[in-house]
Amino acid sequence: MKKYLGPLSKDNPILVQILGVCSALAVTAQLKPAVVMALSVTIVCACANFIISLIRNTIPPRVRIIVQLLIVSALVIVVDQVLQAVVYDVSKMLSVFVGLIITNCIIMGRLEAFAMSHKPLPSLIDGLMNGLGYGLVLVIVAIFRELLGSGTLWNHPVIPQSFYEAGYLNNGLMILPPMALILVGSLIWIKNSKKSSVK
Amino acid sequence: MSKTFSNTYILLYITGLVIIIAVLLSAVSLGLKPQREANRQCEKARQILKAAGYGDVDKSEANALFAEVTRPEKSKTGREMYAIQCADGSQGHVVYVNGKGLWGAIWGYVVLNEDNTTIKGVAFSHKSETPGLGAKITEDDFSSSFIGKKLYDENGNFVSVKVIAKGKGNSIGLENRVDAISGATLTSRGVDEMMYNSLIEIMNNPNNQ
Repeated sequence: MKKYLGPLSKDNPILVQILGVCSALAVTAQLKPAVVMALSVTIVCACANFIISLIRNTIPPRVRIIVQLLIVSALVIVVDQVLQAVVYDVSKMLSVFVGLIITNCIIMGRLEAFAMSHKPLPSLIDGLMNGLGYGLVLVIVAIFRELLGSGTLWNHPVIPQSFYEAGYLNNGLMILPPMALILVGSLIWIKNSKKSSVK
Repeated sequence: MSKTFSNTYILLYITGLVIIIAVLLSAVSLGLKPQREANRQCEKARQILKAAGYGDVDKSEANALFAEVTRPEKSKTGREMYAIQCADGSQGHVVYVNGKGLWGAIWGYVVLNEDNTTIKGVAFSHKSETPGLGAKITEDDFSSSFIGKKLYDENGNFVSVKVIAKGKGNSIGLENRVDAISGATLTSRGVDEMMYNSLIEIMNNPNNQ
């Protein structure tokens, strides 16, 4: 079981493998879209891993990337349609980034590296864990950005009014994409400083 | 992996897969269509109400309020229009405008005063403009800059509202221009053309209200 927990920390897709950073920067200004994005990627990654693993012995190696892309894009379209039907405002906020899950390197990477050579159940867990590892970083970054940038969490004000009366101001820079880059960079820094395996 | 696959197998495999996926996707799309349409309708009602000064209307009330204060009209060219009672009690018209941005379609609703000369509010939407640049046309900062702008210059000629960079086109009166979004020149130009092309239809048929 231990090897499946790698993506959450030791082999974290964003912090260690530096994959999927683009969307991590784009959707983390608020917690809600970050969580929805994390869930979407987790679902797509887990389902794609499972399906590809299920049919892995029938896939002709010469066209395997095409087959993988087909499955992934089909899943992403389904996720996009469901988001539009169920959480329309969030789907508007995520805009193009839901479609871009198709090109998220984490998903293609896991399909090639894991699902093509493992049984369905382990592949499902692997996809789930990698999605969650990605989501974990998104949520951490989004908590910092929304709390410090807008003074809210999940759109609820959490910084008491008395702080503002005492002169506290929201940090507008936190809302902007460069701050996401700096936060992700800081997380990578903390991560690397704590462990000896990367040298 | 050491197995070899014939070309026929590969072709049939891919074709089969594509057909299966196409059928599944169509089913999902059709199944969710009513909900998506309802969401769009509600979003449209909220946008128009916001442009007409009602503020952010709650989703549960938007459709009812929209039905209460608007009455559908059609221009001679078939453009979608509504007569609306604005939040301040005055009568006005809502005109659907559409055009193209940098990456895809842009559209919106323009609320005009009763004689169609002054803008009371706008709300824009887009399909796939760049987040943080062109996508800013949906934000209040941009849409509020249209409020109070005139569609005619001081000589009474129709000029629409120009979306133009600060400091450029100084011959255009302040009442006929708004600032473009810096970094999103092409989307801003798209909004400019959309306003002109869509509104001139209405202005050329002033008696169709």
